[in-house]
Formats: sequence, structure tokens, C-alpha cells
Amino acid sequence: MGIATFNQKKKKGILFDSTRCIGCGACYEACKERNHLPKTVENFLEDELSDKTYSTVKSRNGHFVRRFCMHCEVPTCASVCPVAALEKTELGPVVYHSDRCIGCRYCVQACPFNIPKYEWTKRAPLVRKCDLCAERLAAGLPTACAEVCPTGATTFGDRDFLIGEAHHRIRSSPGRYLDQIYGLEEVGGTDVLLLADISFESLGLRTDLSKQPLPLLTWNVLQKIPNFVTVGGVLLGGIWWITNRRDEVRLAERRTQKP
Amino acid sequence: MNHKKLLNLTFWRVVLLVIFVGGIYSSVLRFAGGLGNSTALSDEFPWGLWVGFDVLCGVALAAGGFTISAVVYIFNIERFKPIIRPTILTAFLGYLLVIVGLLFDLGQPLRIWHPLVMWNPHSVMFEVAWCVMFYTAVLFLEFSPMLFERLRLGRPLKIIHAITIPLVIVGVILSMLHQSSLGSLYLIVPAKLHPLWYSPLLPIFFFVSALALGCAMTIFESFLSYRAFGKRLELGLLSELGKVIVVVLSVYLVLRLQDLAGRNALGLVLQSSYESRMYLAEVLMGIVGPVLLLLIPKVRNSHSGLFVASVLVVLGFIMNRLNVSITGMEASAGRSYFPTWTELSVTLMIVAAGFLMFGLAVKYLPVFPPEVKPGQALQEGSREMVPNFFPEPLLLGSKAVLATGALIVFTAVSLSYSGLRYRSVSLQGVAEQARMVDIMNALNYYQMVPDIVFAQAESSPGKVVLRHSTHVDSAQPNCTICHSKTFRILKDPHSKGASVMSVDMHDEQRCGSCHNGQRAFSVKDDCTLCHSSQ
Repeated sequence: MGIATFNQKKKKGILFDSTRCIGCGACYEACKERNHLPKTVENFLEDELSDKTYSTVKSRNGHFVRRFCMHCEVPTCASVCPVAALEKTELGPVVYHSDRCIGCRYCVQACPFNIPKYEWTKRAPLVRKCDLCAERLAAGLPTACAEVCPTGATTFGDRDFLIGEAHHRIRSSPGRYLDQIYGLEEVGGTDVLLLADISFESLGLRTDLSKQPLPLLTWNVLQKIPNFVTVGGVLLGGIWWITNRRDEVRLAERRTQKP
Repeated sequence: MNHKKLLNLTFWRVVLLVIFVGGIYSSVLRFAGGLGNSTALSDEFPWGLWVGFDVLCGVALAAGGFTISAVVYIFNIERFKPIIRPTILTAFLGYLLVIVGLLFDLGQPLRIWHPLVMWNPHSVMFEVAWCVMFYTAVLFLEFSPMLFERLRLGRPLKIIHAITIPLVIVGVILSMLHQSSLGSLYLIVPAKLHPLWYSPLLPIFFFVSALALGCAMTIFESFLSYRAFGKRLELGLLSELGKVIVVVLSVYLVLRLQDLAGRNALGLVLQSSYESRMYLAEVLMGIVGPVLLLLIPKVRNSHSGLFVASVLVVLGFIMNRLNVSITGMEASAGRSYFPTWTELSVTLMIVAAGFLMFGLAVKYLPVFPPEVKPGQALQEGSREMVPNFFPEPLLLGSKAVLATGALIVFTAVSLSYSGLRYRSVSLQGVAEQARMVDIMNALNYYQMVPDIVFAQAESSPGKVVLRHSTHVDSAQPNCTICHSKTFRILKDPHSKGASVMSVDMHDEQRCGSCHNGQRAFSVKDDCTLCHSSQ
């Protein structure tokens, strides 16, 4: 079904084609089943992302659109995590090592897509989000959501193949799609790509994101620290040496003048 | 007078007691019930008062410590020496309180040490964590001479004196890194923080404003210490600090305005929005007001003038940090945030603990220079010099200053109050529409899921084949009716072929949940409807 190619070494991704989505909820249920998540609402279309729901289907302006982790090429969440609890793996999934997490919630704050959710009601809470079925990928299986999609709206495969496929769909049916692939360049690119025939904004996606990966914003500052420390240390030491020497000389002069 | 003083102390003790009881009760709620049940935090608003006030403002308390110690030890400007100890003490306490605040705020407080062994140098939070730990240690060492002197421990005192200069240099560098890194935390949310506050210069803003706060806190504490213990610093030194505040805040103001202009965001200030009012209130109270007051020599050289101005700086500073962490994030979060009483009372307890510890330290340790003896100053009653603010605050000379300060605070408060009326929460993205989704085209891609042949149990009257085609409404397929609570949706990687159903297939959990005679024919009706006769 929604499964394209599978090269064990290549980066994986998902192509979501909103023009093919019939809102059947198979992906929503497959995600719940795979992650052993409890039922949260009666009508799945009304569900929001939470610590109990990692993937949603929404109806927006006469279209269905899925929301789940975009698995950024340069993930903001992984960059901000002080203990490297979030990690971008080689195959693509951004995974979470819950045993490292200290619960600072910087990932929740920083994610440009508002994906990581927190277990607010638990005493030892953890961050929860889609992990692109990382262990299924490692076993050569597609993500749960792609396995069950009956229309191919959610297609799983190698990321570069999916980009080609998306271009192919846009070219082969002129006028059917916006000539745009969401996720190709947003915040440096994401492993989840979207196609649509109406503006991504009207599907509820942010279109004001820069093409630059967000972690660069902080890395530009952080990488100056080693220099700052050495130069600052030497400078302060030097100033101290000069002012101290000045005082010593003054004292010595006074001593020699006295007798 | 003695009687009055006793009453006074008892009053403050009662206040402290109430604050601590409330704070401890709130702590129980927080640790027993979790963050979600005790705070107003949510996925949309993951950082609230504990980050915005306890951490961002608490760290800045240390700014006085590193500035003054650099001035005295590195630049050898000896006349500031009497201020060093109170500022170091403030910094040390500030950091201790930040750690306490973090223990409340972290979801997994017992893992607070993780950043020591689990590294991610790409994270600003990692830098923050390391600065907190190291600078607390450095501050303890810088603070330790007060303990050693009190305990008459000569040897350790000598060791500390020997390493003072390297210690001060490390402290200054760590502190500069830390103050700025708190601003850097917000560099990564360009699409979330309101343009009035988001700036690539945030680390510099945080650092510069912390310098002003450091000086203001020194003045502020000096007066409170006089009130409580009769210990005070020379007016001359304090008004020099006032001058420093004028310079630092002016630089800060110019930088911030230039930055706004550079990002073409200056117009946002004049829009009458929630954010613009909060911004104006912050700038008026924290920058413009104190600068104007302190520019006047008469004000700068009077105790009340300095006190009022330093209070304004502190309030404006707090407002800035809360604006960055809360006000500026509300629009993009799509919801407003106001702390719960539990969050407030924990914060209040932490602040009260700070005052208490400062008081105890001043009382029992050689924090202030010994020239002014406790009690002596009170008795000699240099009342013309030091106004007694709280019971009878309005001395003739300071009336105008107090009135101006009150006016500034009043204007700021009313600005932000009127701003709150503009605080409309507009949900991000597009509101969900009731419009039906046209799936005609998408249905062309729909592939009917294959039939499932169930393995036949011994007692079964015949094989059962589930036909998806008879169960799915092909005009509007909805998989969630049967999946995945009733039937698995994912292939079972361990079973080959069709899923095997257990014996309870007839009950209300399985086929029977729909085939109950109401939604569909009952499983107790004609068996051949499902079981083939072969």
C-alpha cells in the first residue's frame, strides 16, 4: 500500500499527499496500536497531538491533513536538549532516550512545529512524540501509518525517492497540485514531505519558517564560547597584571622616596 | 521604641511563617500531583513563572557580584571594596535559589546532574546547566572567606586569598556566559517570540540589563540591610553605582531601540496592542524612568532617590524577563498564561527564603564592613541621611522623588492593565470548518483491503471470511469503527497468514460489538450468515 522503496542504508521518510487522503483514520489507529496508546476521543478527527496521541488527522478547508513529527534533517529538539535525549538517527527518525531526559521541556518550547508533548499529569513525566517507528524501520518494516494507508496518501520510502515521486506527481498531473513540496527546505528540510492542492497555510501548517535550520541560530553564539573563554581569561589576567603592577610600582616609589 | 521594634519583628515573622506554610503546601501539591495538576503549564506554554522569574531573574541577581569583584580585583579600584561582600552574598544566594527553582520546575528533578555526564554542547541549556553548577561552586568559594573569618579558620582563608584572582577571573567569565546564555535560550524561537522582544541581540540585552540590575540590587539591599540591621554602605559609593546604572541603562536603551529600528519593528511599539503596552510599561519603568531620575544629581545623591530608582530598575528588569518568557510567547502559543497560586506561592517562598538567608548572613557573618556597628546607627539616628521608608516614608526632600517613582510605577501598571484588555487569544492556523471534505478524487486511489480468512476452530460450524467490502462504506471509509480497539489494524509480524481470533469472537468485544442485533444482525442469529457451510 503506502510503501515505496526500501534501501536499508538510505534515509527514510514519509510523503503525505493530502489530495489522496480520505480521512479514514487508519493511520491514526495504527499509530495508537503500535505505540500502545489509549483511546482519547470518540471522533478521531477532533483529537489533538498530546502525550497520548502522536499522529492526528484534521479536516481543514475541505481537505484532510495529517500532523505528526516532521523528523527534521537538523532537528531543533535534538539541538536544544541539554542531555542529548533526542537524537537524529541515520535512517531518519528523531528518537527519544527517555532515561536521559531531565524534563526541562526546552524541546517542547523550541520545536517549530509544536510536536513534542509532555506527560503533564505524571509524577515522573517524559516527552512523547512520533519516532517514525524507528524499531520497525530497523527491522526493514515501514512505519505503522504507511502500512495501513489504503490510498497511498501516506507513502513510506527512501527520502530521495519520495522527493522524486513528489516531483513526478506534480509534473504528471498539471494543475492538480501546488508546485511546492512542504518539508523540502523548511527549517533545513524534513523527512516528512507534504503535497497539497491548496496553500499549506490553509492546511494549518506554518509557512513563515526560514530555510535555515534553527539550531544554527544558537550554534552561531555557542561556537564562540571557547574563544570567549580563552581571550577573556587572558584579557582579564592581563588587566589585573597591569593594574597590580602599577600599584606595586607606586608603593615601591613611595618607599624609596620616604628615606 | 524597643516595644515597637519587637512588634515589627513579630509581624515579619508571622508573614514569613505564612509564606513558608503556603509554599510547603504547594510543594507537596507539586511533587505529589505532578506539574500539570499544580501549575498552569501546558504543551502550548511549557515555561512559566518558575523559568521566567525564578531562573531568569534569580541568575541576574549574581550580576552585581561579578561586576563589583571585577572592578575591585581586576581593575584594582579599591574604594568599591566595601560593596564586594554583600554582592557576592547576593549572587551566591541567587544561584542557590535558582537551583531550588529548577528542582521545582524540572519534570525529573532527581536527574538534575545529568548534564554533567550527558553532553550536548549544541544546546544553550547545556551551557546554562554547566554555568549554574560551576558558578555556584565558584560563588561558594568567593563567599567562603566570610564563613572562615567567622569560624576563625586561618588556613583555608589563606588558600582562598591565594587563589582569589584566578577565582574572580573564572567567575567573571562564567557569569558573563551565563547572563547572556539565558538570552540565547530564546534565539531558537524566532517564529514564536513576539518581534518586540525577539532579537539576534538577546544574549547581549540579557547581559547588559543584568549589569544594571546588579548595581540596583546592591543599592536596594544596602537600604534594606540598614532598615533591618543598621548596616549600610556609604552614600557616595551608592550614588556612584547610580551613575553606573545611568550609563548602562542608556547604552541598553540605545541598543534596544536601534535593534527594533534595524528589524523594522519600531512601528510595533506604537500599535496599541497587548504586547506594545507591556513593552512600553517595561521600558518606562525599567529604563527611561530610572535614567531620568538618576540623571538629576540631587536625586542621585539622596538616599530616597537612589532607593526609588533602584526599585524601578528591579521592577522593570523583572517585567522584561517576564515579557520575554511569557507575554511575548502568548500570541504564538495561542493561549494566555497566568500562574496558579501554587506556582506563585512556591516562588514567594523562594524569594522569602532568599531574604531570610541574606538577613541571617548579615547578622552572623562579616558581610558588611565593620565601621558601622549595629544599633549604633539606629540610635544615633542619622534620620536626615537615611529615611525610614515603611512607617513614615515621606521626608520633605524626598517627596517629589517618591511621587515621581510612584507615578512611573502607576503609569506602567495601568499601561499593562489596559494592555491586558487587548490580550485576545487567537488560535494559530485555520479554524476548523464544518465543511464536508470532498474525497471523490482521493477515493480513486482507494484500494479495498483484502478479505481475511479466519482459521477455523474445532467447534466452529464453518469457515469465516471477513469481507472488507461488506464492512466498509466505500463512499466514506472510516477504519476507526472496528480498528484498532476491537481488531488489530497492523499486521502481526509473528503470525503467518490471517489473524487467529480467540474464542471470545462472539462476545461484545469482537464481532459481537456490532453484530448485536441492533447495529447489525446478531451473532446469535443464523450462523450461516458468516460461517460457510463447507
